Amino acid sequence: MLARLNRKFGYDERSAAILVFPVVAVLLVVAAYPILYSFWVSLHDIVLTRPLRRPFVGGDNYLRIFGDERFWLAVSRTTVYTVVTVVVTTVLAVLVALLLNETFPGQRILSAVLLVPWATPSVVNGLMWKWIYDPTYGLLNALLLKVGLIERYRAWLGDPDLTLMLIANAAVWKQMPLAALLLIVTMKAIPDDLYRAAKVDGANVLQRFVHVTLPALRPGLMLVLVYETMISIRHFDLFLIMTQGGPGDASFTLSWLIYVETFRSLRFGTGAAMSYVLAMATFLLSWAVIRWLGKRI
Amino acid sequence: MQPIASPLTRRRLLAGAAGAPALLAGLSGGDAAAQSGGTVNFIGWSAAVDQVRAQISAFERATNVRVNYENFPWAQFRTALVTRLVGNAPIDVSWISDAWLPEFVEAGWLADINDIPQLMRYNADAADYCTQSMVYRGKQYGLAYYGDHMSFMYNTELLERAGITTLPTTWEEVVQQSLRIKQQGIVEFPLLLSLAADTWLIEFVSALTYAFGGRMVDDAGNAVMADANRGAVRAARFIREAIATHRILSPGAVETGEINGLRAMGSGQHAFAIVPTYRIRALNDPSQASAAGKIRIALMPKGGPDGTNNTLGWIRFYGMTPAAKADRARRERAVRFMEFFGGRDTGGNYSMQKLLLTDVGLPSCALPVNQDADVTAFWNRWAGGGAVIAQQAMLAKKKDTIAPWFGEWVETSNQAWQAVCLGRAEPEAAMRTAAAKWTELRRAFR
Repeated sequence: MLARLNRKFGYDERSAAILVFPVVAVLLVVAAYPILYSFWVSLHDIVLTRPLRRPFVGGDNYLRIFGDERFWLAVSRTTVYTVVTVVVTTVLAVLVALLLNETFPGQRILSAVLLVPWATPSVVNGLMWKWIYDPTYGLLNALLLKVGLIERYRAWLGDPDLTLMLIANAAVWKQMPLAALLLIVTMKAIPDDLYRAAKVDGANVLQRFVHVTLPALRPGLMLVLVYETMISIRHFDLFLIMTQGGPGDASFTLSWLIYVETFRSLRFGTGAAMSYVLAMATFLLSWAVIRWLGKRI
Repeated sequence: MQPIASPLTRRRLLAGAAGAPALLAGLSGGDAAAQSGGTVNFIGWSAAVDQVRAQISAFERATNVRVNYENFPWAQFRTALVTRLVGNAPIDVSWISDAWLPEFVEAGWLADINDIPQLMRYNADAADYCTQSMVYRGKQYGLAYYGDHMSFMYNTELLERAGITTLPTTWEEVVQQSLRIKQQGIVEFPLLLSLAADTWLIEFVSALTYAFGGRMVDDAGNAVMADANRGAVRAARFIREAIATHRILSPGAVETGEINGLRAMGSGQHAFAIVPTYRIRALNDPSQASAAGKIRIALMPKGGPDGTNNTLGWIRFYGMTPAAKADRARRERAVRFMEFFGGRDTGGNYSMQKLLLTDVGLPSCALPVNQDADVTAFWNRWAGGGAVIAQQAMLAKKKDTIAPWFGEWVETSNQAWQAVCLGRAEPEAAMRTAAAKWTELRRAFR
């Protein structure tokens, strides 16, 4: 058997296999096994506070999720949040990238400052924005009162019509710099000849952006859209710190629902099933974005 | 003969590194075993940590039993404890909330102490309400850590400035006095209720429900919270009107947690509030609150036509795991620990109960503690006397929603109450939602 393997695979292939094996083994233990095990869990009615019973229920957990109105509420909240966060982040990132792609005094300093929000830990970001929105001592209230836009302090995060947008704002503030950075890298790779040729053809600034910059940005945009979608759809930390899903159900997103189901209600079976649904949704969305933009590259 | 020194090879280094922890563990374990009478594994939440550590030191000195003490933030404690219990972590004693008692007993995570006279004898000294809060299906599952209740607090300075000389005895009077304070421009939101959707919300709304003569669940376990006359609807409507109609309660109440509420009351921004009694010390401590010295406690006002002075009481207690009880040596150590912390120490004193009260303000379930001169001095100093607190304690009722499915139900309940606060649901509809979830979970549990 060993001799046959030796004959089939050369020294280099055998060496490569031996060298790769530890990483594969680690990945199997820390990635593949938990993924498969959590799927197994999602097929059982596991409630931690009822440890003596864990019946196999097959796809019932998935059916239960789809019949749960909280799930569809969370889907709608997640969709709104994701769309707003991704669109605003991408548009702002394009604008910032266009600005920083130009040469002007202080450009390097501005580029460095831009990275500060991205370097800020997520938890710190959440706490900072919670402080800014605070109804009694928040900076936003003080600022708006000073410029006369409000007459009295408001409970911003206590307003269910605003909560999701305010959290999205905090997310955009943190995520936009990285997106801008990725787009700047793509912009730097656009040959100047294209712009010169467009100018010769009489294209104005807007036309050069639409017909030269934007098509060339597609690889970077695809990366940004996929990355931001994956991040936004699974966002959790801001919701935990800023609103805990509230007020009421105003910020009840899928990630929050999974947290509540798994770690508060301790229903690990349905929690795992919801996680799978979220993972599949993320995968399909990313695949769709790649297919859609990929065809245009 | 072995060489005095040998070259340090990679193999030797790895062997040494692998063996070192085992060697250290063996040394420390042997050392500990030689010096102590075993170990108690105790887990609690991150409260009164300094006092617990001090008592642990006293316990270790007095008994020669070591204590492994772990603590987690309250907000994550239930999950942390459950995951450890499911994973068969070696826990002997844990702090338990009365809200989790049925759930934990049904899961087989708590051992009863009915057959341990050394602990049961403390019932003779304990407030009956405390003892009953540790009983489930006729068996008692622990010894009290502390017992407290929701109190109605007021700011004497704000009332004086508004010319209010008589304390409100009904919630209708609270509204009238709040409006008077508001109209005089003293503060914008005279009433403070912490209604963030966290673990405290059910405690606040239950207290208000009792004051309005209502209940969440009847004695038979049926959800009655949606009943217009004997449920929680009146209390829910009061909150809604306080926010939307009278504007005496901030709409920001839905994002005000218990701690932030405490800070707001301490800053002198509110005239009336419902606050856990043990917070009175912090509220009257000049180093923690600018309104210090001005916060006092009155009897819970009555609400509506069937109002009562009742309030919500709760208890936290020391519970023993079945695994600890099943092992004779572990059980002996755990019992000694529970007695030392929840009962009398080896000197015959309620030292932990007294320490918690005089240091942190946590009221004790042990009645003799309240006779202590230091405790009387404590209440006089921080609350202007303890008479009202004692009177209110007698009117405290435990949560009627305590059931094996409480942990799941309370998520729906919290959302229902917040929907009322936000005007997203009528009180009746919101309470019907909470009641329907209760009934669904109750059926599923059977």
